[in-house]
Amino acid sequence: MSEFPLAALLLWATVVGLDLASVLQALLNRPLVAGAVAGVILGDPSAGLRVGAALELFALDVLPIGASRYPDYGAATVAAVVMAAHQPWVTALGPAVLLGVVLAHVGSGSIVMHRRVTAWALRRAAPALDRGEPGVAGRVHVIGLLADLVRSGALAALGIGVATLLVRVLRFDVATARALTIVAVAGGFVAAIGGALRRAGTARRIAWLAGGMALGVLALALR
Amino acid sequence: MIGRARALLRLVALQASWTYERMQGIGIAVAMEPLLEPLHQYPERARAARARSAQYFNAHPFLAGAAVGSLARAELDGEPGERILRLRTALSGPLGALGDQLFWAGIVPATMGLALVALSVGGGLRALALCVAGYNLLRVLVTWWGLDVGLAHGLRVAHAISGSWLPRAAPRAGDVAAVLVGAAVPLVAAWLLRGTGQPVRATVLVVAGAALVGALTIRRPLSAPALTVGAAVLTLLWRWSAA
Repeated sequence: MSEFPLAALLLWATVVGLDLASVLQALLNRPLVAGAVAGVILGDPSAGLRVGAALELFALDVLPIGASRYPDYGAATVAAVVMAAHQPWVTALGPAVLLGVVLAHVGSGSIVMHRRVTAWALRRAAPALDRGEPGVAGRVHVIGLLADLVRSGALAALGIGVATLLVRVLRFDVATARALTIVAVAGGFVAAIGGALRRAGTARRIAWLAGGMALGVLALALR
Repeated sequence: MIGRARALLRLVALQASWTYERMQGIGIAVAMEPLLEPLHQYPERARAARARSAQYFNAHPFLAGAAVGSLARAELDGEPGERILRLRTALSGPLGALGDQLFWAGIVPATMGLALVALSVGGGLRALALCVAGYNLLRVLVTWWGLDVGLAHGLRVAHAISGSWLPRAAPRAGDVAAVLVGAAVPLVAAWLLRGTGQPVRATVLVVAGAALVGALTIRRPLSAPALTVGAAVLTLLWRWSAA
């Protein structure tokens, strides 16, 4: 990998890490978006879209609600695209998606660490905050933002580093890699369908889901 | 108007200082700051308002604008501090529940479902960019609307929101998401499994099997990622022993 894509990928993976909760929440952290842009940066948009789509299936099962602990698929997707780019996708997709899933859950722990750093800054500032002193809330906010910047940057470097290493050392025969692709994609559908059923809750919503699936099958048959 | 625009910009980074102690409280204080500038001529009132603005708060980040607007209006109108703190507590739950239903369980999966459908039928990067742009336009409009409603109604903001489009739209967004995610499942399966040797058979088997296992994991005895990694390890062991 030349220097330009490496710097651009690190920057992009850091931005998508910030987008998870701290800033924007503009869908940049979604695997489909993070993967597509990473693919464009690496000159293989097709790999970015496929890896992103497969990891998006896993992310559809995640509800990023306030105090809950959730995986960070942003930088993980960028790393997975690094692993799959410029390779035959049928064999590269499985290992790349599996790396993405593992890294996303490693990223989950980093969110807790970020919250602890912000909580430390908050505890130090609490007396001044409760006295209503000007500028104190802003300072705590900036510390939280910087802590998340460091978290996202570290996760980006770790993910891209691991992916670059695995590209060099991992060698699967075609049958094994193909089997891993089927396992990874099937796992994604388990997550997407399980998540949709959990969110549905009511029979009426499950009927909407089934109706959508029927529409998809119809579209497939008509193509 | 400038104060309102600055508050909107700050709401974009509302959760940067999220903690278990005050949750979004600090972010709310930072977003309210530009709206409280008229209080600077009354230092004691400004100090009390700042202290209240940084207390515990948690809601959906895209609807927190309604809380920021209404709390700022109440402070500017000189409402008693206790009533402002009660409003803060009262808004937290409903704005969180409505926003989670509208965005996290509705508009976000609907947008991603639509993008997956578009990509699997050959829509390409342009289709994805359109989906992301549309979502962000909607997200900014909803936050701006919340800020406006809050500033216009102050302590009566809950009444204004309950009579608005929001409680009706939230469940509908989930219905739309269910249809789009459902439609995406077979299309994406066919797209991703094309080239694995037997695409039609593989697609039918993967979708049917995944639907069955997905239904079994509803009560979460095992998470899908853990199941996938476990299955991958077993696959590697099987291939390794066969070699």
